[in-house]
Amino acid sequence: MGSEKPNFLWPTNLNCTATKRFWEGLRRRQFWARRCRDCDETFFPPRSHCPHCLGNNLEWVELSDRGTLYSWTEVNIAGPRFDIPYLLGLVDLSEGIGRIAAKIVGAEAHQLKIGMPVRIIYADVRGDFSLYCITVDQ
Amino acid sequence: MKSRVAIIGCGAVKIGRYPDRAESDLALEAIRLALEDANISKEQIEGLFTTPDLLGNVGLQTSLLCEYMRITPKLMAEISCGGIAGGLAIRCAMNEIMLGNIDLALCYGAEREASIGWFKKFGSDEGSTMLEPIALQPYASHGTIPAYALSACRYMHETGAREEHFALAAVRNRMNALNNPLAAFTMPITVEDVMNSRRLCSPIKLLDSAASLDGAAAVVVASEKLAEKVCGKPVYIAGWGQYHDNSCFIPTDRCDKSITNFIATHRAAEEAFKTASIAPKEVDVAEVYAPFSPCELMIPEDIGWFNKGGMVTALERGDTEVEGKIPINTDGGLLSRGHPWAVTPFYETIAIVKQLRGEAGKNQVDGAKIGLVHCEGGMLNNSLVIILRTD
Ligand SMILES: [Zn+2]
Repeated sequence: MGSEKPNFLWPTNLNCTATKRFWEGLRRRQFWARRCRDCDETFFPPRSHCPHCLGNNLEWVELSDRGTLYSWTEVNIAGPRFDIPYLLGLVDLSEGIGRIAAKIVGAEAHQLKIGMPVRIIYADVRGDFSLYCITVDQ
Repeated sequence: MKSRVAIIGCGAVKIGRYPDRAESDLALEAIRLALEDANISKEQIEGLFTTPDLLGNVGLQTSLLCEYMRITPKLMAEISCGGIAGGLAIRCAMNEIMLGNIDLALCYGAEREASIGWFKKFGSDEGSTMLEPIALQPYASHGTIPAYALSACRYMHETGAREEHFALAAVRNRMNALNNPLAAFTMPITVEDVMNSRRLCSPIKLLDSAASLDGAAAVVVASEKLAEKVCGKPVYIAGWGQYHDNSCFIPTDRCDKSITNFIATHRAAEEAFKTASIAPKEVDVAEVYAPFSPCELMIPEDIGWFNKGGMVTALERGDTEVEGKIPINTDGGLLSRGHPWAVTPFYETIAIVKQLRGEAGKNQVDGAKIGLVHCEGGMLNNSLVIILRTD
């Protein structure tokens, strides 16, 4: 992604059993959600229990890398993880099951239009850790 | 409601920075002022309710206060629930009084930014642990500002509002704060000043934002019987509504929820109007909990005073100014009064009580009889609305 700062920490729940597979999926350029085997609910973000029936008989399903830009902001406040300014997009996943907020790469603010299609891409931000970002389909 | 409950006393310190005064010091100052205002003695305090203890004293702050005040209440609680904690403290007091367990309760909050651990974390890796860890947290590592910025950008898209309209709300608040002795920010500002202030997360700029500051406030809550005995101008709690929309901040586990209209605000207000048996337009004056100027547009729309996007023209017309159709945040709001977040609902309540007693000075709304207090937690996901009235 180009502008990450060194020595940053990433979310502290990387080793949490309910979500570990999601982060591992990013390493393999896959975007995972969970599906409940009991009630068939597919949900994102991944977590330990089905939000519909509260069961925990779950499996992993891969989502597409497509979405729609729902909103965006240019972040100008200094944080620990990225150089500023950077563009942050809020994206409706194309499966219609959830939203992500992610850094937008390969586009400038004036090119962004709410409702435009976007694509999830991946970046290795540390030797053992990858993250999703979004880019605009040209 | 079966029996009525009244607010009979208010006290608060000016919002600002108090690097050399402890929370208990600020709290005691506000409490003494509230007891004097209510014309009751400290020995009459039967219930003591407060907001989260930001010092991490595992729930012992009320115990410390009892020792410092030499009082022995029958019941006490420290209530934590995000930004609505102060409002819930008043609700607990009201419930205990309505149940007949007590006749008088003191609700207070004291907060110093310096004591809040998680504010310090905002600039660090741990800064967003309140956000959903997978879908939001990795990128929005600056506390709540990016979330509100995404909401504001979407609002502009849906309604045609421009950044200048958000600025109008900030300016209205500032003009009101000029006449509020408790407000932190009392230098006049213009729309241009807001537009030229430091960009934080577009479209939100520094002067669109509430500053986290120190403050302390207290309100005395009493049964109707006691209120009529001791207080010349009781203000009654006439209605109540609370609603949570099942999102913690920006909704991440679905795509069908708006981030420009918040159903929690709408439903909480609806319930409050219903329990108070009033229509939205009967409200004479309101305080809404808007930590950023775009929320100043969304909340009144969700409460039901304006259609979606209607606040744009309402601000241009001055509908929400002191002389307007529905005066909002006549005390300066979070933006200009300053925002010790857990104490803010008490400051809002005090602003409305003063309006209803006719004690709001230059910002007095003529003949105000019914007031509304709104507070929220998360990103407007958990809303609480209180209706107050004089009769
Ligand atoms: Zn299920």
